[in-house]
Amino acid sequence: MSVRSPWQVTWSVWHALFMREVLARTTGDRMGWFWLLGEPIAFIAFMVSLRTFLGRTREIIGAEFVPWLIVGLTGFFLVRNAIQRGMSAIQANQALFAYRQIKPVDPLLVRNAMEGLLQTIVLLILVGLAVLNGIDALPDAVPGVFVLWLSLWLLGLGCALVVSVVVRLVPDLERLVKMSMFPLLILSGVILPLQRFPPSILEYLLYNPIVHGLELLRSQYFEGYHMLAGVSLDYLWRWILVSLALGLALHARFERRLKAK
Amino acid sequence: MIEVKHLYKRYHNQTRQSVDWLLKDVNFTLQKGVSLALIGRNGAGKSTLMRLIGGEDHPDRGEVIRRCRVSWPIGVAGGFQGSMTGRQNLKFLARVHGYTDRIKEVIDFMQDFSEIGKAFDEPIKTYSSGMRSRFAFGVSLAFEFDVYLSDEATATGDAAFKAKAKQVFHERLGKASVIMVSHEEQILRDLCQAALWLRKGEAPVWFDDVNEGLDAYNESVKRGSKGAAKQASQQTSARQAA
Repeated sequence: MSVRSPWQVTWSVWHALFMREVLARTTGDRMGWFWLLGEPIAFIAFMVSLRTFLGRTREIIGAEFVPWLIVGLTGFFLVRNAIQRGMSAIQANQALFAYRQIKPVDPLLVRNAMEGLLQTIVLLILVGLAVLNGIDALPDAVPGVFVLWLSLWLLGLGCALVVSVVVRLVPDLERLVKMSMFPLLILSGVILPLQRFPPSILEYLLYNPIVHGLELLRSQYFEGYHMLAGVSLDYLWRWILVSLALGLALHARFERRLKAK
Repeated sequence: MIEVKHLYKRYHNQTRQSVDWLLKDVNFTLQKGVSLALIGRNGAGKSTLMRLIGGEDHPDRGEVIRRCRVSWPIGVAGGFQGSMTGRQNLKFLARVHGYTDRIKEVIDFMQDFSEIGKAFDEPIKTYSSGMRSRFAFGVSLAFEFDVYLSDEATATGDAAFKAKAKQVFHERLGKASVIMVSHEEQILRDLCQAALWLRKGEAPVWFDDVNEGLDAYNESVKRGSKGAAKQASQQTSARQAA
């Protein structure tokens, strides 16, 4: 066999890691499969019963509540899972760095691709379930939804790249990142519409790129949806590009530190 | 061909004080088909140099350029995932090393070679240490490399397995070469052509002929131990005088 090109080696490594990840997810983590669907369904059931209990009938303008919630939850989990599972990807594959072909960024990228696929399947299943229950949950602009979904995935990837290096350099931050996920869920407007917040607070909430991603995704999903004022695709993509560049640079700079046990 | 250029390596102690270089300005070019013996005393950096050549560790300065396929150190089991079966681990490595289309060949070789039978489909963490090392040894030989790295890699197992391992290894060396660390001089003389003598704190010495290298090394060890013996006797006489 001749010497392989760097790209061939990288592709082999990604393929091998992907097959390994599939194997690990299908055999090891049975409850993981359950929670993948169970978590959003529990959220939806809780929120729907809460609304019924409180007797709130005020609708979200331009969208039905359940599909609105499904889109927000899966979109948010797409970013959150990328960050959370990305943090452990390097640690979990530490032994593999004995083979020089595998770099710390590889398990992270592969795991992210895997998470993106799984979350896409979750979205499709949830939408399917909603439709079966007689709720009109089909997207209005499929290409737009696709682009925004991809953007959210890239945002998760960029954040995961940065966070995975940072928590290896400062391990205490891992707890902080995990803790901040639930407040982030609320502040990203996943389960409560942000439209009701006063503008003075909204000004700060709009620093969060997930808000922009989710609102834009919903505006494509539901025709006539009243988007939060101040949301911009430009801002979202600035975050994506900066986090991707910064994350990759950090991985290049700290590769040795990440490999060390 | 492997080129090693101005290679420096040191390990830091816990207080992060700078320590002496373990490898200092190591330079050599290993031509295709030439096998190299790394010789030197304990702690001279033989295994470290091996890890650097294998890409398992990074040098502090300088570089290793590999213009051929270089193995990881033979028999190293550190990269296996204990919760996965032998077969799964092997498939993973086959894919990493570009054997995606020839996985079956690799698996057949391993089942035949490693003699672990049904345990091939059991998680690796359930293996006995003998099975584990037979498996690790087999995995290294399952793939074709241009240069194999062998750091004291002597196959474990019974006499029959050792004989088989030796035979397969020699077969591989027909097409490939090896960089080797071993305390068995005869193996080095049999398999290697060139030698690199690593000396602590001094520049390494290259020998085109492995026999010359080993002779020079043995000569220095003899002189060194005589010196040590002298020192020891001086100490005893000093104690006696006290």
